[in-house]
Amino acid sequence: MIGRAGFLVTIALRHLARRRRQTAVAVSGVAVGVGFFLAVSALMVGSQNDFIEQLIDAAPHIIISDELRSPSPQPGVRVFGKGAVALHGYKVRNEVRGIKDWQAIVSAANSVSGAVASPSLTGGVTLRLGGHDEAIGIVGVEPEIEKKISTIEDKLRVGHLHDLETTQGGIIIAEDLAKRLGVQVGDIVAATSSSSSGRSMRVVGLFKKGQTQLSSGTGYVLLREAQSLLGRPFIINRIGVKLADPYAAEAVAARLESRFGYKAESWQERSADFLSLLVTRNVIMYSVVSAILLVASFGIYTVVSNNVSDKRRDIAIMRSIGFSEGDLQFIFVVEGLVLAIIGVLFGWLLGYGLMTILGSLRFPIGGDVERIPLDRSARQYAIAALVSFLAGSLAAWLPARKAARVDPVDILRGAV
Amino acid sequence: MSAILEARSLTRTLAGPKPVHLVRDVSLTIERGAFTTIVGPSGCGKSSLLYLLGLIDRPDSGELLFDGREVSALSGDERASIRLARFGFVFQFHFLLPEFSALENVMLPMQRLGRLDRDGARSRALELLTAVGLGEKSANTPDRLSGGERQRVAIARALANDPVLILGDEPTGDLDSRNSARVIEDLRALAHEGGRAVACVTHDPGIAEISDVQIEMLDGRIEKIIDRRARLPAA
Repeated sequence: MIGRAGFLVTIALRHLARRRRQTAVAVSGVAVGVGFFLAVSALMVGSQNDFIEQLIDAAPHIIISDELRSPSPQPGVRVFGKGAVALHGYKVRNEVRGIKDWQAIVSAANSVSGAVASPSLTGGVTLRLGGHDEAIGIVGVEPEIEKKISTIEDKLRVGHLHDLETTQGGIIIAEDLAKRLGVQVGDIVAATSSSSSGRSMRVVGLFKKGQTQLSSGTGYVLLREAQSLLGRPFIINRIGVKLADPYAAEAVAARLESRFGYKAESWQERSADFLSLLVTRNVIMYSVVSAILLVASFGIYTVVSNNVSDKRRDIAIMRSIGFSEGDLQFIFVVEGLVLAIIGVLFGWLLGYGLMTILGSLRFPIGGDVERIPLDRSARQYAIAALVSFLAGSLAAWLPARKAARVDPVDILRGAV
Repeated sequence: MSAILEARSLTRTLAGPKPVHLVRDVSLTIERGAFTTIVGPSGCGKSSLLYLLGLIDRPDSGELLFDGREVSALSGDERASIRLARFGFVFQFHFLLPEFSALENVMLPMQRLGRLDRDGARSRALELLTAVGLGEKSANTPDRLSGGERQRVAIARALANDPVLILGDEPTGDLDSRNSARVIEDLRALAHEGGRAVACVTHDPGIAEISDVQIEMLDGRIEKIIDRRARLPAA
């Protein structure tokens, strides 16, 4: 059986070898299609992965804040909630904002394997230098823990996160904010909040501008520094959680939220709009690029169709000496498939070459000269090959069916 | 001698607004060991009859028995496998595959049948080509062979799977007289010495005269069957 298939393949190869130029044109059609498919999808998937990575890394995978998705029931409602009397106008209990019992949440989050939870306090302060005011949100953190859950350390152009601990009243701000205020590392700015008198902060670090989540309106200070600056001692209003597997964030967030009641937002939830945009982008890319591959298969159709017409006499000979319809169909489908295979191999080379060129280019992105993110995974190669093989066999199958249906009697009569 | 192929009232008509009756109510037997010719004027239906006998075409009515078995109603694949294993064809034009050498052309039916492996097929093909005097030219492609040589390759190919029935459609129609005589001698020898049945369509009276059985056709019907073996002493 294998021997017979191999022998039929030989016939197909001889047919193709006979018409080199036509074969070369069809092969290069497929090769160009596959090559550009690879280049484009490497760009698209690469930039998408890079983007998602930034989304994931820019902030903790899960942020638990002191907000509730629905207001907590007031004591009166809690007691008489199911009573026959509706309560209105009762006195609303005032509660101190902040996450209560945050130690329990942190230890619950830490119990997820590979997860690290970092408590922090955020609030608004005004930085003032000379006559210049800048309102920013500060984040009070424990540097040693925060380092583990965020990439802030990598985003620093000057200084380190642990400088907050070694410098009294240290603050890390964005470099463009520093420029606006006219301060440099080591300089002192005055910070005031609504609930405390002002105090002096010393700039110990600057982070780069243009980062997704670190706007120029954010500053990092020590947790206890933030608590005293904001006048909220011992209060935590944000817990960032980093997971070993970022894609588990939704499930873990839902679990934490249902257990503790506080709003736990996964990165997917925060970036739902971006992610749906990516889906649209992928649909557009794959339909355009698949069209290229399909068009390439038209070349295969032409070659196989021509071969079938040219070889009607040979088909009649083979049929009369006892080749079955299936044999003939097989021969011509193989011709298409061989064109697709050779085309895919050259296409892989072309795609690899294009990627190498694209990968060597540098572009100024976000103030830094960076390489284009490219996805060079084998998956793209496999998809390109699979689509080409399918399209190629289909394109060859149509004329091959015609070949199988050639009636040898018609040809023999015509020839005699 | 035993009948290998028996036709009973075979009829073949080309349908259309004006139906063409190619073969009408033909009954005959083709026997082993006999060189049979089918003769008649152009358009008398002799080639059409040959295609029916060779299981290439299907009759509209009538029966065809090969080795005692009704074969006209078999599926296309079954008929193809009978052609492959039991029949050999030689056509007016050589009908070799142009991309393949003489040797490969002869190997083709053997490789398709798969009874022999590649090496076995190769050595048998070489034997067959040597037998028709082309052992030296086995590597040539058809375009580097003369007309007579090509036709001899076609005969070698027809013999590839050791067929019991060899059918020729004007096998010498495209050849000069010297090559023609050689091809006919080969075919006669296959019938007389190999115990095969050989049936050829021809318009050459010289060939018809030396055949054992001569079937004369006119207008799709058999006019007359001349059996010369009867006059010869039993061989």
